[in-house]
Amino acid sequence: MENVKEIEEKRARSTTATAERPRPASVSAPHAPVAEPERRKGPRTWQTPPAPVPPPPLDNYASIVGAAEIDELRYLARDLKGKTVKMINSTAVGGGVAEMLNRLVPMLGEVEVTTHWEVITGGNDFFEVTKAFHNALHGSEYTLTRQAQEIFLAHNEQNRRRMQFNEDVIVVHDPQPAALIRAKADGSARWVWRCHIDLSNPHPQVWGFLQPFIEQFDAAIFSSQSFARQLSIPKYLFYPCIDPLSEKNKDLDDSFVQKVCDEFGVDRKRPIVTQVSRFDRLKDPVGVVQAFKLARKYVDCQLVLAGGGASDDPEGAIVLNEVKEAAGGDRDIIILDLPPWCALEINALQRASTLVVQKSIKEGFGLTVTEALWKSKPTIAGAVGGIPNQIIHKMTGALVHSVEGCAYQIRYLLTHPEFAEQLGKNGHEHVKENFLMTTNVRRWLLLFRILLAGAVR
Amino acid sequence: MATVSIAHRTPAKPFYFNTAAHLLRITRQKAATLGELLDALRECPEESIFQHTFRTLQEHHFIRQGFSNDFAQWAVASCKEPGLGERLAAVDVREFTSVAELRATFLAIVEEFLKANPEAGKRTAQEVFYFCASDTVVIPTSFVAQTMQDFANGVRSVSLHSIHHHFIEARLRLKLMSNDFSQWLHEDMGLTDSARALNQIDIYTVTLEDVQKQIVRIVERALTAGGN
Repeated sequence: MENVKEIEEKRARSTTATAERPRPASVSAPHAPVAEPERRKGPRTWQTPPAPVPPPPLDNYASIVGAAEIDELRYLARDLKGKTVKMINSTAVGGGVAEMLNRLVPMLGEVEVTTHWEVITGGNDFFEVTKAFHNALHGSEYTLTRQAQEIFLAHNEQNRRRMQFNEDVIVVHDPQPAALIRAKADGSARWVWRCHIDLSNPHPQVWGFLQPFIEQFDAAIFSSQSFARQLSIPKYLFYPCIDPLSEKNKDLDDSFVQKVCDEFGVDRKRPIVTQVSRFDRLKDPVGVVQAFKLARKYVDCQLVLAGGGASDDPEGAIVLNEVKEAAGGDRDIIILDLPPWCALEINALQRASTLVVQKSIKEGFGLTVTEALWKSKPTIAGAVGGIPNQIIHKMTGALVHSVEGCAYQIRYLLTHPEFAEQLGKNGHEHVKENFLMTTNVRRWLLLFRILLAGAVR
Repeated sequence: MATVSIAHRTPAKPFYFNTAAHLLRITRQKAATLGELLDALRECPEESIFQHTFRTLQEHHFIRQGFSNDFAQWAVASCKEPGLGERLAAVDVREFTSVAELRATFLAIVEEFLKANPEAGKRTAQEVFYFCASDTVVIPTSFVAQTMQDFANGVRSVSLHSIHHHFIEARLRLKLMSNDFSQWLHEDMGLTDSARALNQIDIYTVTLEDVQKQIVRIVERALTAGGN
C-alpha cells in the first residue's frame, strides 16, 4: 500500500503546485501553461507479484540479433555435444544471479549443452556469515573470526558431501559456495568461479581467506576489468547482460506506455528525464533532483525518479524522505516507490523518457544503464563501476562526475535532439553487440570450448 | 562473359565461410598514466594489441563518428590529450599484416609524444586502462561457395563476426594487404576488379553492417555484369 500512498501524496502535492505555478509546455516555451494530465485513480494489480514468465525459446531472439547470430551459437555448441555443465549458486529465487541462471540454463539446453543447476543449502548462521563476507568484499569494515571461518567451511563441506560433481564443467557463482572447490580432486572436471561482485577494494582478511580457494579453480570470471583481483589463474571478462524479451526490456505498445504515464501523472508532451534505481544514497537521487533543478532553469522538463527499496529497507525510507525534501513539493518531480515486480511499468517509463540518468556515486555493473541504452535512450551516467564499459563518452552516452556536469548534459541533450538521438542509436547497438543474453550464451559456450580443449593459459 | 557463366563458374577451390568467436581475458597489465601505458604496450601479449585494435574496432563497429582503437579513445577521454589521441586514432589496422608491426607503431607514437611532453607521462588519467586479451576460436559455418552465386548468398547470410574474420582479421593470417574474400575472387575466380574494389572499402567511416552491404553490392555487380 506504500505505493498507492506515495502516488496519492504526489497527487495531492501536484494539485497544490498547479495552483501555485503554471505548468511549462515545451523546451522553447518553458513557462506556458498546459492541461494537467490525468492522475492514477486507484490501486493496481502490481501490488502483488505476478507469476514468473517462462523464458522464450532461442529462436525468438533471431528477430533481434539476426538468424546468423543464433546459427553461430549452434555452430559453437556443436563440439560440446554430450558435454555436461553444472551451475552452483546460493539461491534459487530473487537476486540477479538466479534471474540470469533462470534464462541461461534453458538456453544452453536448447543448444544441447546439458546444464544442471544446483543450489547450496545452509542454515541462518551460514547465510549471516556469507552476507557479512559479501559486504566485506565490497569494502565494509569486518572482523573475520575463527568461528565465521568454521561456519563457512562446515556448510561448504556438508554441501560437498551431499552433491555430486560428475559434469565436465562446474561453475561456482560468487563466494558462498567457493570452498566446494575441495571436490575438484575427486574428478577431472574443469572448475570455474563466476564472481558477480566488485572485488576492487575487498576487506583484506576476508579476501585473504577466500583467495586460496579461488586460485584452485581453472579460471575466474569477472563482470568488469576494474572488479577483478590479481590471480594466478586466467581471468575472463563476462559483462552482465539483459534479456531483450523479458518484461523489463521487451517492446511495448505505445498505448500501454501512454497508460502507465497517465496513471503516474507523467506528461508525454513535455521532455521526461528519468532515473530508475533503489532509493539508495549510492545512486545519488538527491543529486539527480539538484541537477534537474539546475537544468530546468534553461529547459522545460519533468523528472521521474522510479525505484524501490523504501518499503523493505529502513535506510531506503530515509533516503526517500531526503529525496522528497530535496524535491520540495515540485510538481514536475514525480517520485515513484515501486515494488520489484513492476518490470512492465519500469519498461514503459524508460520508453517514455526523453533522457535517462543514472547518476550513481558507486555502482556494480549498472544494468539500468544497459536497459536504457537498449531502449535507444540518450543516457547520462556517473563514471563509476561498470558504467564506463557501457557508456563511451559522447559516443554511446554521456559520463558525468558532478551534479553540475549532470545538469549541463541534461540541458545539452535536451536542446540537441539530433545528437541525443545518435547517442541513443549507438547505445542500442553497443548493447546489441555486447550486453544481451545471446552474447552471454556465446561467451559461456566459448569458455567451455576453451576449457575443455585445455587451451587455458 | 555471359552472366550465367560467372554465376556458375567453378572456382579453383571452394570458399569455406568460417566465423571467429573471441573471449575477453583480463591480463596483468594496466595503466593509470601515459608512462604506464608505454610500459604496458611493451610488455603485454600480442593478443592484447589485437584485442585493443582489431577486435575493439569490431566491438564498436556501429560508431561512425571516429572510434578507431582503445588506446586513442583512452588518450582523449581519460588523459585529455587530443593530439596524441588523433595520432593513435590515425593508425589504420588494415595497413598491418602483423601484430608486432602494429605494436611498434603504437610504441613509436607514444614514445615520441612523451619525449616532447615528459610531464604528460606522469599525470594520472581519469580512468585506469585495463589491458585485455582475446582468446579466439575459429568455427566453420554451414556456408560453402562452390559458385559465385553461392558466394553472394554466403556474404549476404553470414554474421558480422564472420565478415570481420574474413575481411579484417584475415591480413594477420594471410600476411598480405588483402582479405580472404578478395584473395578468393582474384585467385580462384579470376575477378580481379571485384577483388580490388572489395579491398578498397573504408572500414572506419561506416558500420560493419554497411561493410557487409558494400561487399554484397560488389559481388552482385560482378554477377550481373558478367565479371572482368
